[in-house]
Amino acid sequence: MRGKHVLIVGGGVAGLSAAIELADLDIRVELNEKSNFLGGHAIGYACKAIDNTCVKCGACMVEEKLQRAVSHPNINISVGSQTQGISKNGRFSASVRRQALCIDPEKCTNCGLCSNRCPVNGAIIKSFSKNNHPFYAINIAKCLYFKDRSCSICCDECPEAAIDLDNSPSEYTIEADAVLIAAGFLPFNPRNKPYGYGRFKNVVTALELENMLKRTGRVKKPSDDLLPQNVAFIQCVGSRDAKLNHLWCSKVCCGSALRMARLIKDRQPETEVTFFYIDVQTFGKDFEQFYREAREDIRMIRAIPADIYETENKALKVNFVNHPLHQTREEIFDLVVLSVGITPGEDIGNLSRIFKLDTDQFGFLKSAGEDATVSSNGVFTAGAVRGPMSIAESIASAGSAAWKIVKYMGGRDLKFD
Amino acid sequence: MIKFLGDSLNHQTLILGNGPCAVAAAESLLAAGENIIIATKDDTCNLNGSVDSASLQILRQMRCLSCKGSVGNFKIHGIQKNKPVAIDAGCIIIAEEDQRTPNFSLYGLNASSNVKTLSEMKTLLSSPSNEKNILSEIKKVIFLTGLVKESTPIIAKEVMLSSLLLQKDFGLQTYILTKNLKVAGDGLESLYRDTKNAGTIYTKFTDDVPDIHQGEEDNIRIDFYDEITSKNFRLTPDMTVVDETVVPSRYAADLVKIFNIEKDVGGFVQADNVHRYPVLTNRKGILVAGPSKSVMDVDTQRIDAGNAALAVKGLSAEKTNAKAEKAYVHEERCIRCLTCYRLCPYDAITLNTRVAVVPDACERCGICAAHCPMYAVRMADLEPEVISELMGTGGGIDRQQSFVPFIVAFCCRRSAAQARDLAVCMGYHLPQGLKMVEVPCSGGLSYDHIFKALENNADGVMVLTCHKGNCHSEQGNIYADQTVAQIRDMFSRIGFEKERLLIQTLASNMGTEFARIAGGFEETIATLGPSKLRKNCKKPITKARKDESAK
Repeated sequence: MRGKHVLIVGGGVAGLSAAIELADLDIRVELNEKSNFLGGHAIGYACKAIDNTCVKCGACMVEEKLQRAVSHPNINISVGSQTQGISKNGRFSASVRRQALCIDPEKCTNCGLCSNRCPVNGAIIKSFSKNNHPFYAINIAKCLYFKDRSCSICCDECPEAAIDLDNSPSEYTIEADAVLIAAGFLPFNPRNKPYGYGRFKNVVTALELENMLKRTGRVKKPSDDLLPQNVAFIQCVGSRDAKLNHLWCSKVCCGSALRMARLIKDRQPETEVTFFYIDVQTFGKDFEQFYREAREDIRMIRAIPADIYETENKALKVNFVNHPLHQTREEIFDLVVLSVGITPGEDIGNLSRIFKLDTDQFGFLKSAGEDATVSSNGVFTAGAVRGPMSIAESIASAGSAAWKIVKYMGGRDLKFD
Repeated sequence: MIKFLGDSLNHQTLILGNGPCAVAAAESLLAAGENIIIATKDDTCNLNGSVDSASLQILRQMRCLSCKGSVGNFKIHGIQKNKPVAIDAGCIIIAEEDQRTPNFSLYGLNASSNVKTLSEMKTLLSSPSNEKNILSEIKKVIFLTGLVKESTPIIAKEVMLSSLLLQKDFGLQTYILTKNLKVAGDGLESLYRDTKNAGTIYTKFTDDVPDIHQGEEDNIRIDFYDEITSKNFRLTPDMTVVDETVVPSRYAADLVKIFNIEKDVGGFVQADNVHRYPVLTNRKGILVAGPSKSVMDVDTQRIDAGNAALAVKGLSAEKTNAKAEKAYVHEERCIRCLTCYRLCPYDAITLNTRVAVVPDACERCGICAAHCPMYAVRMADLEPEVISELMGTGGGIDRQQSFVPFIVAFCCRRSAAQARDLAVCMGYHLPQGLKMVEVPCSGGLSYDHIFKALENNADGVMVLTCHKGNCHSEQGNIYADQTVAQIRDMFSRIGFEKERLLIQTLASNMGTEFARIAGGFEETIATLGPSKLRKNCKKPITKARKDESAK
């Protein structure tokens, strides 16, 4: 389909997968990612294989999609880019704002000197994938140069002169025949839950644990960098919660948490793992066996803790109701992992306004682009922007959306030359 | 010149099935101008009759018996109404329905007038009103689901919908007895709340299961201890509804054999392998979609149908990889032992008058070449000389210099090679003497490659493969494991340190682990000292010797 252009908003696994599918059909893809790196949340997920055996979490597929997308001649990628507005006159014309790109990908060799020398924690951020080039990015929100121009160490020390802190944002227009929104989700922020997240160092989210495993291969306590003696996972934080009107199951947390729990037991057998849950959800094709084995080395407690207090030595006192005995119990854990749910993305309001898409009762773009009458306007959705979805489901969702786009752009006359 | 696979393709797609997925795929492809043959097992076809007949052929009551050929050129033989039928197709989409097994025996129950399956209840609820009279004569209905075997959201949804109707439309009291309520589906948490608001009583079990007794005249008595209230309960329902397990159709087992495709532990037609997401099989041109591949709802079936249609279009747009890169058979050397035929995970070896590789179906894993006992099957970039060139030769060692072990790491292109690049990006210092040789699949490694490394002065050899169950060639990493085990065994017999050969599994996103494995191996080799097989080592200085001389 030469001459056809598609704008994809979002460079997570759904956006990348759809981009590859379309690009393979000789369609030109403009892929816009608002953050500095491609791969979405899932690029930070760790491989959770245990006993040298794949557990089908799908994390490696994100890496593969990313690798294929960045090397595809028909895909043009812009990171740090956001759509500001769109008009349609036959084709779409999208105005895009691209934030300052301080590190020149042509010059950067990923030596990491900038990151090592930077005096501010978090001002130079690292990617999770080698397929994000540059591997480093400057976080404008924290960089001192952007605050008061008081520091330019990275720029001065870069041996390749790849850093230009005076680079300014740019605005440009993209013409496209169809648009795919694959803007992903927002992990639930558990700050307002009575679990001390943000205040107690050893309370982390499951997403942060995934990232820790990916970067270091180990689970350690953030307070002292030592291996924890006992870890508790708390499920359904921000999901299945009537008070928040989050009347949905996030679908992926049981799989992610139980796989990580088993990984901890596999790599650090001395660590005790406790799993607090409401209902364990089925995931994977060999769930029956996986779950049976999980119950052998993980303590399963069917209760959601009421609250958590920090002890003097940074351990965590977890209160929960022990049902068979009907007692309120208190147990000490070194590390508590909150399985935070999938919630609608923070810019979903903007997207629904710009692209004239309706959200469902919970704020996802579920119904958009579903039937022929709606999709005939040329805007489609894929991935977790539609609702909770696993990596595998996001890939399938992307393929299905790509196919709808192909049909919309004139599937019958597909010309492959 | 780039040749397009599309040129040689038969542009017909055979779709097997008659469910929502098969129908959606057919409609979609017809709309995109593809030629379709849809084959259904039964006498009906649910595909709308108004579609363009010129590009559509419907074969009712057709069952496949055999399939020859490969992508672009499949020849399927089947039987239709007792008559043989032959079909030519470029691609095949398997989209058969699943079936259900009632779980009576799991609960110690027998079917009777008041013990029904979930499907029977659904049928009853959707039947004409006079047949539903039976529901106005009863008061209590119990659903048993997921108590012995874990259930799925598909079943949970049906249980909850039925329960909701019984509560709301018939004023019955319903109970749902389960272990883990499966709400990981769209709208199921809301549905769960709706059923509770409508009066459905849920009892969830964690470790125990209820004691279910089917007595005289099939009266059911259920005794249990409720974990929430800490009380014993006895329920005597007027009707008991038993859930079902979704299993592949019997035909699916036949299809697995006929098309020589992988299946999963439950017998569904697709290996449980992430590389097959969402609709691929080990055979190029054979796609699997819908309930023949896993338990799924109708929405997901439509998503699958779209993916299958896209894959068909993708195939006709695909550029044939240069034939020179694929495996080929050296005819004079071949003794027709059929090792390649047996081992090829992609069914890319044909046996006509002679053994040959079908380039379009070959995925370049090299398993055939590695295991051919006659060096008849070859792949250009796996030739030992080519690999030798890639790894280079370890430099000389003399007493004055400290020992830098020369380590050759054979890395799977999809996993370990990626992990190594990530390790470099992450700033890990990899062993100075580490040389990575990227291979398409570790299954393509043979004795020759490993001995070549030793011949080239390697002090240690690592084979880094994908995790079990994650090999694109399904068994490639297992073959590599066997090869390494045999060579290590051989080393022990001849008094060569077997520790110099290591096999480990890695995923593409494991940069840290790559660095850890490589570092650990370098230490091992440093302790062992230079390899005895080094051609240029004057007097090996082992760490042990050093320690000795220090004393």
